[in-house]
Amino acid sequence: MNEALHALVQAVAGWGLDYRFLFDAYSRASLVDGALTTLALCLCAALGSLAVGLGLACALVSPRPVLAMPARAFVDVTRNTPTLVQLYCAFLVLNMLLTQAVGTGNPFTPFAWVVIVISLHKGAFHAEALRAGLQAVPATTLEAAGSLAFSAPQRFIYVQLPLALRFALPALVNNLIDLVKMTAIASAIAVNDVTYASIMIWTQSDNVIEMMVLLLAFYGALGLLVNAIGRWLEARLRMPGYGQ
Amino acid sequence: MPSTDTPLVRLRDVHLAFGATPVLKGIDLTVGKGQAVSIIGPSGSGKSTILRCLTGLLKPQRGELTVAGTAVHQLHGEAAHRPLRQRVGFVFQQYNLFPHLSVLDNLTVAPRKVLGLPAREAREQALALLAKVRMQHKAAAFPGELSGGQQQRVAIARALAMRPELILFDEVTSALDPEMVGEVLNVIGELTEEGMTCVLVTHEMRFAEGISDQVYFTEHGVIVEHGSAEQLFNHPGEARTQAFLQHALGQPGRRRIPDTYVLRNLSPYHLSV
Repeated sequence: MNEALHALVQAVAGWGLDYRFLFDAYSRASLVDGALTTLALCLCAALGSLAVGLGLACALVSPRPVLAMPARAFVDVTRNTPTLVQLYCAFLVLNMLLTQAVGTGNPFTPFAWVVIVISLHKGAFHAEALRAGLQAVPATTLEAAGSLAFSAPQRFIYVQLPLALRFALPALVNNLIDLVKMTAIASAIAVNDVTYASIMIWTQSDNVIEMMVLLLAFYGALGLLVNAIGRWLEARLRMPGYGQ
Repeated sequence: MPSTDTPLVRLRDVHLAFGATPVLKGIDLTVGKGQAVSIIGPSGSGKSTILRCLTGLLKPQRGELTVAGTAVHQLHGEAAHRPLRQRVGFVFQQYNLFPHLSVLDNLTVAPRKVLGLPAREAREQALALLAKVRMQHKAAAFPGELSGGQQQRVAIARALAMRPELILFDEVTSALDPEMVGEVLNVIGELTEEGMTCVLVTHEMRFAEGISDQVYFTEHGVIVEHGSAEQLFNHPGEARTQAFLQHALGQPGRRRIPDTYVLRNLSPYHLSV
């Protein structure tokens, strides 16, 4: 492992890139820690955003205005304001108010705020993708489910949602790739994600270019991974003969 | 022998309008247990609307509908219709199979989730029904991989899987290529032979004549005339019926509907699967 790293650092040194800081145990540990934090952020926010998106989409297509109208308002406000501003607002305002109210008992860490804000923000985008999927399910297919005596929840779970997910999948994967990149805003409130760790290292070692290459490669690989998972899901959920 | 002693379906003075447009203007219709009843008439005459009223998919503004002992006009809300829909099968013009489920799963999902059948029983029933409609070799296929006629036969099997007392057929061959009409009509013909109560909205006049105990002719939202198939097709009493039949069937000896549509190989199957 170490030898391979040495060889690699040697190799790129020829291009004028100095990666010797990787031999420093402290720098390396903080970088690995940052990468793991980013992975945890991605996972939590992806699951959170999908849950939020599904709930919002159900509310959006609901015939009841008491559900549909607040959901519509939330989606519009959330989609049309910058995520970074939302994070500042949540962390600097809401978090402060919460701390004032409950003191040190405030359970929300900066990490949790990032997950919440990204989940809500990306959830709004998922909701629109899922709404399109839900509405693309032909009324006649739902009528068939009704004629088989499905209850409304059964019809949703066994017919409408499975079809809507398939219709919405490419858009959802798109959103999730964006979500991966969006986790970088965590660095703005000093969550030690991979971006924050990189900033810490380059301010001390003056190696912005080297760090930047690493950072971009890391996010790029994560995005490709999400894309690969999406492709795999698409192939798995493909409905043979449908829409061809 | 089919009889009208125990009517399974009774409509009395049913009125329905879409907005300001009246579609049904006082429909009276009776279907006895074990009967096959066809509703014929020009497009837009309200035939399919009648079927949709029978399971509460549409709500008439006025009139009484009794289906399998249930006063449909008194049901309110989606949930109230579920017991009725368990007992009344519906086969659609566009098949409306679930495209994300295999043929087998299309036949097992409702029996399992709605009737609560164990997975194995639902599966065995599904395979038996697929054999009945001659689709057992496609159990693992998906609807999108089947021809229209095959999909419609699966849709009939799906309706049968709920063990209904009555099946409604809504122009089930209208979307099919001509060469596939026969295979679907044969399956329906077998069902009526077995004594399944069927209400058919159809444009297949020869078929309606061949299998129906009663035929209703509708036009502009009213029943113009009804009677036995023999009576309605051969001795229509109303001028409008005569005109429609002449148009639909063509001149005698020059039938537009090929004879291959008429039932063949009627063999009794048992419904107890």
